[in-house]
Amino acid sequence: MLKFHWSTGDLQVSLDRSLIVMELQTYLDKLLTRIDGLKTITITDREGVTLLTATPEGGSLGTGFETQPALLSTTFAVVSEQASKLGLKKNKSIVSVFGSHQVVQFNHAPFVTTLVADVDANTGILLDLNNELRDVTDVIATALQERQNVTTP
Amino acid sequence: MLKPKVISQVLRQATTGGVKATLLLNSEGSPLAFVSESGDRDARVYAAIASNVWSTFEKNTRPLTKENLATGSGSGGGTSSGNGANNALKFLLVECEEGNLAITTVANMLLCLTANPDVALGILKAKTEALARHLEEPFQRVTTYNSS
Repeated sequence: MLKFHWSTGDLQVSLDRSLIVMELQTYLDKLLTRIDGLKTITITDREGVTLLTATPEGGSLGTGFETQPALLSTTFAVVSEQASKLGLKKNKSIVSVFGSHQVVQFNHAPFVTTLVADVDANTGILLDLNNELRDVTDVIATALQERQNVTTP
Repeated sequence: MLKPKVISQVLRQATTGGVKATLLLNSEGSPLAFVSESGDRDARVYAAIASNVWSTFEKNTRPLTKENLATGSGSGGGTSSGNGANNALKFLLVECEEGNLAITTVANMLLCLTANPDVALGILKAKTEALARHLEEPFQRVTTYNSS
């Protein structure tokens, strides 16, 4: 027989959290379909640990850019720190253009948001997602903060 | 022969309309020629950090571009060429709170433009690419001469 050690309060919090994760995932999936040429969206921490990722439904992930978000995120974390020493205040984003892809990355401290898109995708629209995606990372940051407060009374 | 005075004149033409500095540097971060509104010291800082940013990105993403070549870029999008050589890093745009940096390659050197935040990123990119196109051919000749 299964035994639940949670109080109903804990269960409610846990359910709420999983609902939030599902909502965020659905939101990112919708963004992929909304923007032409956008291939993947990944939210990681600065060490490259993936928190949320959205990939095209049923699409094959053929390229390294789409299958290895950790490498891109850790690179951005290092480079963003260097760029903040330019004397132009804090780094906000970096766009890197390759032969067939472009990668747009946002500094959503303590997280890194990475967008991989076709090279001919509209860079302006991708950069315009900064504030929208900032709201998503804020939700995650708040949830993590609350969890930390619960585990360390 | 290269005329350093002429290189500076060409760089000066791009340092207008909110562009604060234009630099031509080698891959180690030493400036070859630069024009800066805010003094030499700033230009040298931009050069050092721009070259470091470029080389870090290039080194860390090399496995990804090679993987692209191996898999033939099966992303299904149809637009990806999947050519590893053509899929190398071509352009970087670094957006900071008080200014933006555009970096690209010219022959085996780097071209870096620094602009105020009110300069539209599209203009900054277009200026960088136009300047790179203009300098590419003469510098390519110098590179060939050096390597032969």
